[in-house]
Amino acid sequence: MTEWFADNFISILNGLAIGSLLFILAVGLSLVFGMMDVLNLGHGALYLIGAYVGFQFTGGISSWGGFLTALAVAAAFGLVAGLILSVATEPLVGRGHLDQALLTLGVALVVAEVISIIFGDDVQNVVAPPGLNESIQVFGNTYPAYRLALIGVGAVLAIVVWLVIEKSSLGALIRASVSDREMVSSVGVDNRKVKAGVFAFGSMLAALAGVLGGPVYGARTGLDETVLLLALVVIVIGGLGSVRGALIGSLVIGQVESLGRANLPEFASFMLFGALAVVLIVRPRGLFGSKVGAP
Amino acid sequence: MTQPVFSRRNALGLFGLAGLAATAGCGSSVGGGSSAGSSASGGGGAIKVGLVIPQDGVYTPLGVDMKNGWDLFLERHDGMLGGYEVETVIGDEGEGPDTGVPAIQGLIQRDNVDVLVGIVNSASALGAAEAVAAAKKVLVISNAGANAVTGDARNPYIWRASFNNAQAAFAMGEYLASQQPEGGVFLMAPDYAAGQETFVAFKASYEGGGGTIAGEALTPFGTTQDFQPFLSAIPGSGAGATFVFYSGGEAVSFVQQYAGFGLKDTVPLYGSGFLTEGSVLEAQGEAAVGIQTALHYSTEIDNPANTEFVEAYQEAYDVLPTCFAVQTWDAALVLDLALADAADLSGDAVSEALGGVGEISDSPRGAWTFDGQSPKHVEYLREVQEGDGGLINVVVEELGEYGQ
Repeated sequence: MTEWFADNFISILNGLAIGSLLFILAVGLSLVFGMMDVLNLGHGALYLIGAYVGFQFTGGISSWGGFLTALAVAAAFGLVAGLILSVATEPLVGRGHLDQALLTLGVALVVAEVISIIFGDDVQNVVAPPGLNESIQVFGNTYPAYRLALIGVGAVLAIVVWLVIEKSSLGALIRASVSDREMVSSVGVDNRKVKAGVFAFGSMLAALAGVLGGPVYGARTGLDETVLLLALVVIVIGGLGSVRGALIGSLVIGQVESLGRANLPEFASFMLFGALAVVLIVRPRGLFGSKVGAP
Repeated sequence: MTQPVFSRRNALGLFGLAGLAATAGCGSSVGGGSSAGSSASGGGGAIKVGLVIPQDGVYTPLGVDMKNGWDLFLERHDGMLGGYEVETVIGDEGEGPDTGVPAIQGLIQRDNVDVLVGIVNSASALGAAEAVAAAKKVLVISNAGANAVTGDARNPYIWRASFNNAQAAFAMGEYLASQQPEGGVFLMAPDYAAGQETFVAFKASYEGGGGTIAGEALTPFGTTQDFQPFLSAIPGSGAGATFVFYSGGEAVSFVQQYAGFGLKDTVPLYGSGFLTEGSVLEAQGEAAVGIQTALHYSTEIDNPANTEFVEAYQEAYDVLPTCFAVQTWDAALVLDLALADAADLSGDAVSEALGGVGEISDSPRGAWTFDGQSPKHVEYLREVQEGDGGLINVVVEELGEYGQ
């Protein structure tokens, strides 16, 4: 057992790093879909914007200034984009998920094409900031320092988001508007603002994930589809509208993609959807599906 | 070397080209299928060439290089090929056969081209084979490397001025067998046709030369962002070297992660040349320094044709040329030689003339000949080093000539 653990230590660690990144990406999608009941297929495009913002401001040079600027710019981009998406989907409330999917997918296509026109189709490299831009020794294994930092960032964000949603009065307002919109508006709260706020926050996290994921996945066309698919799998596994579900879903997929692939390389292609199928058969609502938010 | 990836852009391209193909169909039914060609036969006339290159999707950078190579050749030869005034019509290959094949059909039927050049994706090349054979038009492939294109699935109208997938892997297998890395070689490639062809060719020469395979991994193509799960098997396998075939975005992630997980310094990395070719090398940065690859071209090859080519290319486009540009330049070069001898512009006459061009002596890659309908050329062992204007592939030695 300890020998197995030692052999697979790096894979487990890596699964945590990938899981952290997936959590930052997927929690926004889960909140918007699960709590606000809006299916946002533009979520991957927000990640892509973040990735290219990261490339634009670091430009192949390792610097904290560039990296932090990129984070700030991407956060601002994400907030604004989330507000716009929220306003754009407002007339579609009550018209079903298909109309929302069409609108947000359309926006995603336009964004991806514009990025491709501006930056071209070459694969771009995003460099981690100094100090994290190297490999360190972890119990005798070489491991990129940046991925370790990613685990820390993911953990901090998970705690913050969980505290906000579950423990703060703001979170209570959000949860209340999900369970009974009319009651919330009758006590004088405009629940469109609540929706816009959640949308903007979720979109900001997606754009931040783009910058944070840059040193791992780079910036290239088509990345938006890849990460959107991963995020959808995560929220289906974890269950909609639950911070805890998004966290567990991310960690599970992180390990499936890392530990699973390392131990069963011949099944690597099917493993992601195999895990999805198992969860759907055993627990169709997802591991932590919330009853109120689920459509 | 390529395989279609299904994406929504692909799907959109399909819709777009379905529309195009429909229009093209109308055009040809009105104009009548005039396979006699629009140009006068014999020297001194005009020739219409269809250049089929990706203008959308993941292979767009290759399409740019290919167009540059083509344009540069014409520019330096007064817009003439073999005495014919050239009119170039560009078709968008897209990512896969769903867009590439209709593009070729459109060029044949709507634009009535005499000769076709281009094609990045092997699946598109295989899909186009029937269309060009039916129309009796010559297609000179300037990338697509699947062995079958000029092997099992060959027809007299498909010629290749680029390479075939097995060559670089076979050459590298022989070289590593002679080097005898302690513990054998670990193999990695994406799980699709080109990756599998690479495995077969490498094993044939490396194991044939007495080497042992320490381990191997075929990674899911197009969905692998993180190679760590596969990389983590390398130290345990005891391999003394790693040989891989990756290109494009996968090449960038792979090389960076190979360095990031500390393998670069302990297990030397070898590859097929696309691993470090063109724009991917820039994105890989420092992580690529020291990687050795085998390919039929490098900007650093020392011959007069290459020196002149590299200089002209840099002057025109302000970047170093890639093998993709050279392959399209060479497609123009062989057409230039063949058309001068061809009786007329019919597919049969051009194909016959291509069969008789003999040695193509002034190519930037060095002299090469057709072996069957695919090139027989020297494979170079190259090492990535820091140059004056960035990273370059320095030629270490010639690994010998390889054919179909």
